[in-house]
Amino acid sequence: MKILIVEDEAKTGDYLKQGLSEAGFTADLVRNGVDGMHEGLAGEHDLLILDVNLPGLDGWQVLKALRAAGRELPVLFLTARDQVEDRVKGLELGADDYLVKPFAFSELLARVRTLLRRGRARDAETLALADLELDVLKRRATRAGRRIDLTAKEFALLELFLRRPGEVLSRSFIASQVWDMNFDSDTNVVEVAIRRLRAKVDDDFAPKLIHTLRGMGYVMEIR
Amino acid sequence: MTHWRHSITLRLSLAFALLATLVFAALGAYLSRSADAHMTELDAHELLGKLALARHVGSREQSPAALAARLGDALTGEHGVIVAVDSEKGAIFRWPETALAGELAAAAGAVGETPSRLALGGRDYRVVAGGLETAWGETARVVVGRDIRHHTDFLDQLQRDFWLALLAAALLTVVVGILIARHGMHPVRAIAQTAGRISAGQLAERIPEANVPPELAELVGAFNAMLGRLEESFQRLSDFSADLAHELRTPIHTLRMQTEVSLAKPRSDDEYRDLLASNLEEYERLSRMIADMLFLAKADNGLVVPQHEAVRLLDLGRQLFDYYGILAESQQLALDGEDLTVRGDRLMLQRAIGNLLVNAIQHTPAAGRVALSVRRQEDAAVITVSNSGPPIPAAALRTLFERFVRVDHAGEGSGLGLAIARSIVLAHGGSIAASSFGQLTEFVITLPLAGQQAGNG
Repeated sequence: MKILIVEDEAKTGDYLKQGLSEAGFTADLVRNGVDGMHEGLAGEHDLLILDVNLPGLDGWQVLKALRAAGRELPVLFLTARDQVEDRVKGLELGADDYLVKPFAFSELLARVRTLLRRGRARDAETLALADLELDVLKRRATRAGRRIDLTAKEFALLELFLRRPGEVLSRSFIASQVWDMNFDSDTNVVEVAIRRLRAKVDDDFAPKLIHTLRGMGYVMEIR
Repeated sequence: MTHWRHSITLRLSLAFALLATLVFAALGAYLSRSADAHMTELDAHELLGKLALARHVGSREQSPAALAARLGDALTGEHGVIVAVDSEKGAIFRWPETALAGELAAAAGAVGETPSRLALGGRDYRVVAGGLETAWGETARVVVGRDIRHHTDFLDQLQRDFWLALLAAALLTVVVGILIARHGMHPVRAIAQTAGRISAGQLAERIPEANVPPELAELVGAFNAMLGRLEESFQRLSDFSADLAHELRTPIHTLRMQTEVSLAKPRSDDEYRDLLASNLEEYERLSRMIADMLFLAKADNGLVVPQHEAVRLLDLGRQLFDYYGILAESQQLALDGEDLTVRGDRLMLQRAIGNLLVNAIQHTPAAGRVALSVRRQEDAAVITVSNSGPPIPAAALRTLFERFVRVDHAGEGSGLGLAIARSIVLAHGGSIAASSFGQLTEFVITLPLAGQQAGNG
């Protein structure tokens, strides 16, 4: 998967590129709108991460030019201003998602994966990792063949993890996906919820599947 | 002064002058007419007196010559009086003995005993005439006239003088009026000077209300009240900046210290990882605080424009309970009320009510109770978040919705949650209030229903 980053802020651009590369993507970085437009039109990329404030052509103009040329790759735009008009404008111009700076990198990664996954085969109806199994239709979870009783939200949380194995999920991403809570709250709700889920899914079993990455979020994987 | 048209001083003075002129003119006209009437009456009295005299003499004397002699005697010393007595046979008497008396008699053919004005030879006369039955049996006609030139001259002069006096008085009134008006405007200038002295640093200054004329008391009162409000907002802003600096300084200081100390000597990978993770947590907190501050700053400037979607409040409450309920360990949560729908920004309302809910849960002791209820009150939806627990002191209640106010310093929050809740509610045209009695603390949000209520469908 090739991702094009158009970002003029030197450090942000470099770390975006490094982070995405380390997450297994091929990332190209350009630092102004004109280069961004040319690279985008060349059509080698599967996704575009586009800063709105750019020298030369701004993000809106790049987006317009790409859509006018019929390039349909998903576009995630980054804005420093949390303006409703910005959001609306971006989505009207054909962007697929947006993030307001400053954002957590894990959040960006999660959105990128969502955008790249979009439009592919229907989500699986049974999910599994190690000896943990989830039947999405029957709403049933088992580990090592033993039935685990989960509340609706715990089930949704576990499903989120199982659909994104190995991905770091930030607290705010989890809150928005599982509870539809879309603002950063200063509480440890997600922490408590994960602790309870762990008690049911991990405490009596090995290997442990849910891991905490301090300061970043949580990941489900076999270590 | 380009705005003389609007000058109160000038307008007042001109109004004074106009009024004075009108009053003087009316008075002058009245006096002039009175004088004229008085003169006319005097003349008539004199003329009729002379006519009576002539009749009296004529009815006694037995011949025209005797009449003339007797009448001449009686009129000796009279100036300006003209008397002519004529019979069918000719002139009997002329006074003065010039042609004038004859000419007047000829001109006064139509005159009777009511005084009339006659112009003759460029002069004005007042004339009466009447018949006379002489003692010798003739019928004669007496014409008595008077030169009234000195009367008319006097009246003309009077009028000329009067108009001059009127003009002078009008000018004087303008001048005096300006002085009076200026003096009257003095308190206004004093207010202006005080206002001119006030800058951001001296918002404590007030216009003294002690010596202000009652007409200006209201203005001064309003002005001082405005200063009071300005001072308060300004103070709040200064406090806010100071608080902000303080709130940001603390985490930055922590970050700096731990980074410096960690870099001072080589450490293990785990230690570095720990440091970075700890820094990340601080950054996150800082980011959140900055985002909150930005939101509040925008709300203060009216830039927070809520979307208008239908929001079902009970659904919203249920969702918030799902999420924040996880924080409640031993506290009991209760949600009830009517299924009301408001027009508003779902995200913002979620945030506002969520902040109240978090606040309530965090301040409820174990085994306490947190309740959220939605009720209709006339055209408003009333959302009440209540919790049991120790009451909030009255003094703290007043400042609860200010930024960076934390009732107990134990809370982990940024101290912005309630301020944000208030901003959101205000942006939705609603109101928010807090009360605390006994063991119950209540936060009440009132949102307009805009005339629509959702059923259960």
